[in-house]
Amino acid sequence: MTQVLLSGVAIGAIYGLVGMGFAIAFYVTRVINFAEGQLLMVGVMVAAWFARTGLNPWVAIVLGILAAAAVGAITYLVAVRPVLAFDRFSFSWLVSTLGVALILENGAALIWGPTSRSFPALLTGTSVHVGSATLTLQEVVTIAVAVAAAIGFELYRRRTLFGKLGMAIAHDPEMATALGANTVLVATAAFALAGAFAGLAGVMIGPITYSNPYLGDTYGIAGFVALMIGGTARPAAAMVGGLLLGILGEAANKLIDTQASDWFPFVVVVVMLLVLPEGLLSLTAPFRRAVRRARAPAGAPG
Amino acid sequence: MTATSRVPAAWRPATFVAALAGYGVFAYWAAHSTLYIQGLVLVAAVFGMLAVSLDLVAGMTGLYSLGHAGLFALGAYATTILYNDHHWNLFLILPACLLGVGAVGLVLGAVSLRVSGLYFAITTFVFTLVVTVFASDSTFTGGYGGLIGPIFPEFPSWLGWAGQSVIWACLIALLLTTLVVLAIRSSPLYPVLLAIRDAEPFAASAGASTAAVRIGLFGLSAAIAGGAGWMFAFQGIVSPSQFSWQVSVNILVMVILGGINTTIGPILGAVFITVFPAQVNINPFWQEILFGALFVGVIVVFPSGFVGLIRLIGRQIGRRLGLAGPAAPRVEEEQPGIVDAAAVSAVARAEERAAAASSNGSVPETPAIDCRDISFRYRSGPLVLNGVDFVVRRATIHGLIGPNGSGKSTLVDLISGRLRPVGGSIEIEGVAVDREGVTKRVGHGVARTFQSAVLVNELSARQNVQVGLYSRVPRLAARSLAWPALPSARRDGRRLRQTVDDSLAFVGAREWGRVRLADAPHGIAQLTQLAAACAWGPRTLILDEPLAGLAPSEVEHAASILTKLKSSGVSIVLIEHQPRFVFALCDDVTVLAAGEVVATGPAAAVREDEHVRRVYLGQ
Amino acid sequence: MTANALELRGLRAGYGRYDVLRGIDLHVAPGEAVGLLGPNGAGKSTLLKAVMGLVKHRTGGLSIAGTDVIRMPAHKIARGHAALVPEGRRLFVDQPIEDNLLLGAFHLRRDTARVAELLESVYGLFPVLRDVRMRQAGALSGGQQQMVAIGRMLMSDPTVLLLDEPSLGLAPIAIGEVAEALERLREEGRSILVVEQRVDLALRMCDRIYVLAGGEVALEERARALGEDGRALIDAYLG
Repeated sequence: MTQVLLSGVAIGAIYGLVGMGFAIAFYVTRVINFAEGQLLMVGVMVAAWFARTGLNPWVAIVLGILAAAAVGAITYLVAVRPVLAFDRFSFSWLVSTLGVALILENGAALIWGPTSRSFPALLTGTSVHVGSATLTLQEVVTIAVAVAAAIGFELYRRRTLFGKLGMAIAHDPEMATALGANTVLVATAAFALAGAFAGLAGVMIGPITYSNPYLGDTYGIAGFVALMIGGTARPAAAMVGGLLLGILGEAANKLIDTQASDWFPFVVVVVMLLVLPEGLLSLTAPFRRAVRRARAPAGAPG
Repeated sequence: MTATSRVPAAWRPATFVAALAGYGVFAYWAAHSTLYIQGLVLVAAVFGMLAVSLDLVAGMTGLYSLGHAGLFALGAYATTILYNDHHWNLFLILPACLLGVGAVGLVLGAVSLRVSGLYFAITTFVFTLVVTVFASDSTFTGGYGGLIGPIFPEFPSWLGWAGQSVIWACLIALLLTTLVVLAIRSSPLYPVLLAIRDAEPFAASAGASTAAVRIGLFGLSAAIAGGAGWMFAFQGIVSPSQFSWQVSVNILVMVILGGINTTIGPILGAVFITVFPAQVNINPFWQEILFGALFVGVIVVFPSGFVGLIRLIGRQIGRRLGLAGPAAPRVEEEQPGIVDAAAVSAVARAEERAAAASSNGSVPETPAIDCRDISFRYRSGPLVLNGVDFVVRRATIHGLIGPNGSGKSTLVDLISGRLRPVGGSIEIEGVAVDREGVTKRVGHGVARTFQSAVLVNELSARQNVQVGLYSRVPRLAARSLAWPALPSARRDGRRLRQTVDDSLAFVGAREWGRVRLADAPHGIAQLTQLAAACAWGPRTLILDEPLAGLAPSEVEHAASILTKLKSSGVSIVLIEHQPRFVFALCDDVTVLAAGEVVATGPAAAVREDEHVRRVYLGQ
Repeated sequence: MTANALELRGLRAGYGRYDVLRGIDLHVAPGEAVGLLGPNGAGKSTLLKAVMGLVKHRTGGLSIAGTDVIRMPAHKIARGHAALVPEGRRLFVDQPIEDNLLLGAFHLRRDTARVAELLESVYGLFPVLRDVRMRQAGALSGGQQQMVAIGRMLMSDPTVLLLDEPSLGLAPIAIGEVAEALERLREEGRSILVVEQRVDLALRMCDRIYVLAGGEVALEERARALGEDGRALIDAYLG
């Protein structure tokens, strides 16, 4: 059982990072970037390519993450901003980001071929034992990095004015502009950060999946489901969603059959959505309300 | 841009016949062409049907469904299995498909009431996933390999000249689908659908049972998707990979790329996405890259899709031909109130209607509205209303005033049925309505307006007022499916147009009738709201801050409208902030503060009340 | 001679194909409170938005304290040149009041001393906000929300203050409080341009009045100079 839990958390950390990528972009722009999974792929493909040219593998990894961030920013500027500038409530970004996904996936296949290529394996070999379960060092580092990233982002969002500005921009971009916010800059930064998160996930899973252009499909969907589980109110919830998804998938694989992870998590998500339409973390809502009421001074409703 | 058709009315039947003829020629050509082209036409037509059916719910009602591939699959599999294993007649299977998949659609539509927007997309996405997984894993569906579909019966020999029957079948199916959608779009149901999408409280207060309409529409959309599945079975193979969630996304892409909420857009999108990969034969990677680039390019340059591109070309051509463009929206001062003879008689007609709607002559004794000891709170929050008594006498204007946040709008929501009280009772015209929702209360003659005008900005003032007349068009939802063909529809249409014009004239906004509300000033939206509420002849009218944003002359005019309505026997509840206006116009006044009644009674008495002067007027 | 706090010369502006403002000449002298009246559709809100840079097409002369801002992007104008209290307030309802205020001083956030000073002066103007500063903005009454909106406007320390129908939807007692606050700002020597639908309020709060009709200036007059006849004149323009 512990093995299922830990292995689930290890893969769930990846889902969570991609999910947070979706969530960060959504937080500021209310747009689902259909190319987010492909940003993971960009991270791993670029890192693998640089590593093949002989560059220090750590440098290659950093370059991979930066490339993913850059592509994320470009996606916003080219495919999302023009759509939103025309009509803030349009859904046309669905088509344009899908187009970007097609371009990225097939572009990668064109440049580097459709088959898997190697990826620098920097942390494999060592195993860590937790009770009766075993995790590779790669998995442990993945979990640690992912959780740190989630907590770090959440603190940044809640404590800094810049983070609150992001929420303000999502709520009322015109008003945010009227307060001096360069909304295009903030949104581009958000998409770049979303790309970085996905790229980070990519370079951490590279040693296991190797680098191939079609990684974006599976991990994109998984990341999206992670977002749905966690809810869209706060981006870090996507990490919780991802971890849960990973555990559910591993459990399904073990208890039902090895294909069950294809559909079991989805069914869980739907049941959950019907019961908790706001996502899992809405369960904590009454708790948060009580905290808020305790902080605010007593008085007439206004 | 007004919402009326770009083609002059006189030309419309001619263009319709011409289009039909052209379509027939195309069908003849396709039915005689190569097997390859026929396969392409069949698939394109099927996806055309799917895209149109999705646009019904996504474009008109705002429900972005990713479940249409699943519904499609149900139709295709049902057709194949019923034919192969149970030997049903193919033409018996079709209605079975339509009804069966339609029923599934009703269930999915019901789910949409619980989750909406993004989450609804997810739920329908999972529906498709479950269908495909089930199809892949079961033996009677042929597993991953799938099943071999039925063969469409050939034409009898005397029709042999027409060519392949299956081509005619699929093109006729597409045509029928398009005609149904066109019918809905040209019927009075269309503005109501948009209202349900953009301004649900408005639609509800006009008597539309928004849930039923949504569910019904989804059922219709699903039925069409099921029919598309029936058609699809004839192209040979039915296997799970043809119905994956990616296909659902593709259908949505077809709708958006072609032009959402247009008749022809989804078809254009479907044709493009079906034909392009088949016709463009280069390196497969470059092909997909080009495909993706087109997605980005088209949407970024023409956010309204292919239809946007066509409109642009049409405008350029129109300019060359010297045809007049759309009329400039008015930005000059509008004429205050009633100025010409036509408007005067329109108002007279409106007054007659209002008088006829109320009881004949004598004023009944039971109050229009009788609320006793009303309490209300949101979930586990503090009491918003506490022990409120609110009695509105018939044929009076009753002011409801108080500081912001005192609970006035909440009380109105309780009376209109949007909210249910936690304690106390509500009677309308002597009938207890506590158990009834908004739609039923409309049946008691209650109409209301909202604080910030909740209307459909995409539509014109006239179309918005038309929404208000929903309850006055018998069996509208069902008849909309064939609206242009029904003779009774023409009568109803004329009557509607007359009533709408009269209503707008009554409130003094007749000249703004054809202007899109998004292009009109806020005051016009207020007046439109008022017109929509008055149009169907309510007996009790509740107005929530109707004067906000009106110029002084418009305020004067509104006062005269209310007085006229009162003399026709309408009981009016008025929430407003301008004390001069309120005390001059109202017979009775109730003052609310912090959820409790501070004073109530004849206007003059309340005005002099010490407490009121302090709490509200700040004197 | 010091430049006007705000000056419009032949300003034309619109959202799409048609100009809503058709050549406006208007100015606000330093320390002056100017009212903008007019019927619906005359372009009053558009004028304020044009000054803030929120309107797509602008041509003509537009300067704030001598700086030409016709080409300046909106977010730059909002950083100290002008600030807006929009129609309907448009607060960030999910965030606490103090955050709404701090977001108003976003571009000054590195200068913590100045931000603290500005925050204190806002609480000084509206003491009741200090007590509820951690409450969510959405939980407040209309009048209190209006105070937050005005405070948010003041936090960017702008040269010219713009208000769009501050009395809209407010109970008379709340309107009184808002009018008092604006009078205090006037006494402090701030330059103010306020759009109002209610003539009596505009005359009470302003030194000078413009009446806008059909995208053009129809009347310009000193408030004090308008007697009963003047009131009637304005009413005529308003229809």
